[in-house]
Amino acid sequence: MSFAQKARYNFMKDLGAPALMWLRQSQRKKRPRKPNPYLGPPLKCAGRLREIMTRHYYLSRFSKGAKPVAWVTSGAPVELLRVFDFYTIYPENHGALCGAQKKGPEICSEAEKKGYHPDLCSYARIDLGHAFSGKTPAGRLPRPDLLFCANNICQTVLYWYKELSYYWNIPLIIFDTPYNFQDIREKDIEYMVCQFEEMIPELERISGCKYSHDRFMKIIGIARESASTWGRVLATMKHRPAPISIFDAFVHLAPIVSLRGLPIALDYYRILLDELEERVAKGIGAVTNESKRLMWDNIAVWFKLRDWSLLFAERGLNFVAATYTNAWAETIHYLDEMSPFESMARAYSLVVLNNSLNYRLKLMEQMIRDYQVDGLVILSLRSCKPYSVGQYDLRRLLGERLGIKSVVIESDMTDFRAYSEEQTRTRLEAFFEALEV
Amino acid sequence: MTKTQMTRKDYLLDQKQKGRHIFGVFPAQYPKELLWAMNVVPAEIWDPPVEITAANAHLQPYICSVVRFGLELVLEGKCDFLDGFLFPHTCDSIQNMASVIHDYIGANKPCYFFYHPKNPHGKAAREYYVLELKNLMRSLEKQLGPLNPDALKQRIQQGHKISSLFGEFYDLRAKGELDVGNGEFYEQIRRGEYLFPDDLIPELEGFLARNKGKGEKRLMPVILSGVLPNPPEILTLFDELGVRVSHDDLLIGSRRLLVPPSNLKDPFKQLAESYFSMPPCSTKGAPIVKRREYLLSLIKATGAKGVIFNVVKFCEPEWFDVPNLTDELKKRGTPTLVLDTELNQGLSGQMKTRVEAFVEMIS
Repeated sequence: MSFAQKARYNFMKDLGAPALMWLRQSQRKKRPRKPNPYLGPPLKCAGRLREIMTRHYYLSRFSKGAKPVAWVTSGAPVELLRVFDFYTIYPENHGALCGAQKKGPEICSEAEKKGYHPDLCSYARIDLGHAFSGKTPAGRLPRPDLLFCANNICQTVLYWYKELSYYWNIPLIIFDTPYNFQDIREKDIEYMVCQFEEMIPELERISGCKYSHDRFMKIIGIARESASTWGRVLATMKHRPAPISIFDAFVHLAPIVSLRGLPIALDYYRILLDELEERVAKGIGAVTNESKRLMWDNIAVWFKLRDWSLLFAERGLNFVAATYTNAWAETIHYLDEMSPFESMARAYSLVVLNNSLNYRLKLMEQMIRDYQVDGLVILSLRSCKPYSVGQYDLRRLLGERLGIKSVVIESDMTDFRAYSEEQTRTRLEAFFEALEV
Repeated sequence: MTKTQMTRKDYLLDQKQKGRHIFGVFPAQYPKELLWAMNVVPAEIWDPPVEITAANAHLQPYICSVVRFGLELVLEGKCDFLDGFLFPHTCDSIQNMASVIHDYIGANKPCYFFYHPKNPHGKAAREYYVLELKNLMRSLEKQLGPLNPDALKQRIQQGHKISSLFGEFYDLRAKGELDVGNGEFYEQIRRGEYLFPDDLIPELEGFLARNKGKGEKRLMPVILSGVLPNPPEILTLFDELGVRVSHDDLLIGSRRLLVPPSNLKDPFKQLAESYFSMPPCSTKGAPIVKRREYLLSLIKATGAKGVIFNVVKFCEPEWFDVPNLTDELKKRGTPTLVLDTELNQGLSGQMKTRVEAFVEMIS
C-alpha cells in the first residue's frame, strides 16, 4: 500500500466525500413529492441511507492502493476480513443496484458476448460483464486484491468467483459450509473453524496486516448488534399497520449486506429503528389502508420494486415478511465474542439456504404465524436454483397446513429480458381475486 | 443369461435376490468402495429412459434434465425396489432435489447425503473428507450392520483394479487400438454405473481381450467434454463421420474413473487421497487452470484435432467453465464446438449440422 494513495484515500474519506455529499445534497432540487394516496409518508432516514451507500461506492474508487480490496459474497463471514482492514465490495449488491437502475440486460450482455450462457445467474453475468467492460452505474469499482466466497448461499458463487480469480489472476479464498441435509454436526463446525485458521496467514499475507484477536472480538460484537437491530427493524412489521413494507426492507438491506461489522451500519439501523418505532406509536403504515398482509419468497425483482409496491398498495396489500430479508437477521445471534470462530461457523452455515427444505418450510410457517400473513407470493427465479428448486412443493405444503393462498410468478431479479409483464399481471390478478381484494 | 446380456433392471433385481442391497445413487462423486464393502450395489441415476411428466409438478422447466429425469424415476415408482438413496452434494439442484425427495415427497426408504468439500486446497478439506466417509459408514451401519474392515480393503483393491482397467481402455482408445465404435465404448464404460465389482472386472477384462489391438487408427481423434455422452445418437454420428473420441473429460468418464491408487495403510485415508488426486472437476471446485491443463494434456497425449463440449442445458458448474476453456484452447490452436444438450431428446437437425460442419473444419 502506498503512502500517497493512503493519504488520498484519507483525504477523500474525511474531507472530499463529505464535501461532495454536501454539494450534491444542496444541488438537489427540493421538489415537493406528490403524496401517493396508497402509500404512507416516505421514511425520513432514506436520505441518510442514500448518503451512506453513495459514499461507500464513491470512496471505493480511492481505496485501491490505500487499502486491500476484497470482493465478497453476501453470505461470507466478512467480520474476519474487517480485522485486516479490507475495503469490501459486494458484487451481489452491485448487481441489485444495476437491476434497480434497469442496467441488467446491458451489462449481462457483455458477459454473454464472451460466451457466458444467458441461463446463468444474472448477478454473476452482471459482475463478469462489469469486469470485462467496466460498465457500472456506480462510476467505477476498484479491482480486487482478493476474492472471498462462501457457498452457504449457493454453489453458483463458487463457479462465478473462480472465473473472476482466473480472469484477474488473483487469489480466491473459499469458505466451504457443508449443506445441512439434517442437523448441523460438530465435525462440520470443526471443519469450518479449521478453514478460518487456514485463512488467517493468507489474509495476513495479502493485506500486510497482522491478525488481532481483540479487534476481531470487537468486530464480532458490532456485527451481532447490527444484525440484531436489523432483526428488530424487520420485527416492527409484526404491527398492524406495518410501518414499512418488504419493498422498503429490500432497499434498507444494503448496509447489513455491504457494511456488516462496521459501526456505520449499526448507527444507521438504530436511526431506522427509532423512526419505525415512532411510526408504530403513531399508527403510520407503509400502506395507508392495509387490509391484507403478504409474504415474499426469494430475492427481490429489483427493476420492479417501485411498480409492484404501488400495484399491491392500491389494493391495500402490504408485504410484511420475506425469507430473503430475514436471512441477515436469523442466525447472527449465534455470534459470540467468547468463541468467535465456532460461533461464526454456526452463524454462517445455519442460514436458510444452507439448510434443508424442511427447515425452510418450518421457518416460513413460523413467519406466517408471527407476522399474521394472509397470502404468499413466490418468485420462481431461474438465476437462483437453491431458492427456487422445491418452491412448488413448499407452496403445496403451506397451503395444506395453513390454508394460505399463494401465487408463483416467474422473473429474473435484474435481467428483465426474462420477465413477462402480461403473464405476471394475469397471475397476480387471479391471486388478487382469490384474496378478495 | 450372462451379466452382459441382462438389462440393467434385471441385473439389479438378480443382485437383490442374491441378498445384496440396491441403492439409487444420484450424480456424481461418491465412495463406491464403501458401498460395495457393505454389500450395496450402487445403481447410478443419470439419464433414465422415462418421459418427464410427474416431475413437472415439482420442478421448474429451467432445472437441468439430469435432476428432472431422476425425480421422474422416483415419482413413477420405478425406484420402489431400491433399499435406499444416496445423494452426493454435486450442485444446488441435486442438493435441493435430495431435500424435495427426503422432506417433501417422502421416499419411504433411507436417504443418505454425502458432502464432499468444495475447498479442495487445504488440509482441513482432506480431514473433513475422511470424517465424512466415516460418518457415511456409521449411518449405513445402522441399516446394514457393521462394516467388515477386510471387506473394505478388498473393495478398495477392486476399485484400483477397475480404475486401471478403465485406464487401459482410455490408453488403447487414445492410440486407436480398440476395435469398437464410440457407442460401444461408452456403453461399456457406463456398465460401471451399476455392475458390482465382482461382475464388472471380468466384464471389462473380457471386453479388452476381445477388442484390444485391432482399432482403426486413421479415424479423426477428438476429445469429448461435458457431463455425459447423451443423446447417444451423437456417438453414432461420430462413427458415421469417421470420428474417434480419443479421450474424454466427461463427468461420467475420465473425471471419476481414472482414480490414482494410494499406498496409505488406512483405508479411509486411501480413499481420501485417491479422491483428491482425481482429474479436475467443476463439481468439486477445481480451478480453471487445472481443467485447462488437463484438457491440454489429453490433446497432447492423443493428438486430438478438436474438443467438443457436450453440455447439459442448465448445468451451472459446466457452463461457467466453458467460456474460458474454449477461449484458452482456441488460443492454442485447438478448435472447439459447444453443444447445448437436453438429455434423451435425440439428435436435432441443427446439432447434426453443427457437428458435421465442425468435423469438416478439423479434417
